[in-house]
Amino acid sequence: MMSGPTADGGPVPGLELEVPPKPAFVRTARHAVAALARLHEAPEDLVEDIKLAVSEACNPAVARTEAGPDSATDPLTIVAAVNAGRIEIEVFDPNGKVAREVTGAPADIDTQDLPFDRVLALPIVRGLVDEVAITQESGGARMRMLVALTPATESPASS
Amino acid sequence: MDLELETNKRDHQTVLTVRGEIDVYTAPRLRQAIVDLVDAGAVNLVIDMEKVNFLDSTGLGVLVEGLKRVRTRGGDLSIVVTQDKIVKIFEITGLNKAFSLHTSVDHALGEPVSG
Repeated sequence: MMSGPTADGGPVPGLELEVPPKPAFVRTARHAVAALARLHEAPEDLVEDIKLAVSEACNPAVARTEAGPDSATDPLTIVAAVNAGRIEIEVFDPNGKVAREVTGAPADIDTQDLPFDRVLALPIVRGLVDEVAITQESGGARMRMLVALTPATESPASS
Repeated sequence: MDLELETNKRDHQTVLTVRGEIDVYTAPRLRQAIVDLVDAGAVNLVIDMEKVNFLDSTGLGVLVEGLKRVRTRGGDLSIVVTQDKIVKIFEITGLNKAFSLHTSVDHALGEPVSG
């Protein structure tokens, strides 16, 4: 998995990591994705948005795990890569169950009927990313987010 | 950076200064601090988040719980927040309308607190 040039001129792989759905590891996930964004010269305010979006994507699995000793603790998979001036982030929870699938532009997503733990989280994600999709798959729940890096960073039109 | 909490009494109000990251890992400590303060009678709270460099929905949930807790006991909860990235989170969730947000502790303490 390779993506575009970075601050030091060399190619930088995207990242894929697995973390247990435990509170202490959410920080690891967000800082890893933030590091990738910084390598692609994302401005710091955008990096902060990305960190928060990653945390919100991981939090439901953590909350479920913390809710009871019998909860499954299969690891979350976080995949991030920069392509065509956008960072794509996927968080896959093998034990996740999506309350309601959402896909599309954040402004089109209705959050009125979500359970309390998502009432705050999804509006936050919606306010941070350019596209979001939350889907139920046979093997779990997947949240996919796209965030455009600044046009000045990797605009294909620049010469 | 982990979470640091410090409590100071100012007149009839209590200032809880928070430093570091408020996330799913550290939010339980903030929740417990608020519960302990309110149980001890400190129902007029100012939470100083000027040095908070990360806040997620878990942290917001703790603040909402805190607000409900003090108001059921006749108090109020004000928040000091100056960093744009933290203010933004209150704004995109609409919670800037639920909380009394201030730009300094002195400003928060200067506001009349219902009780």
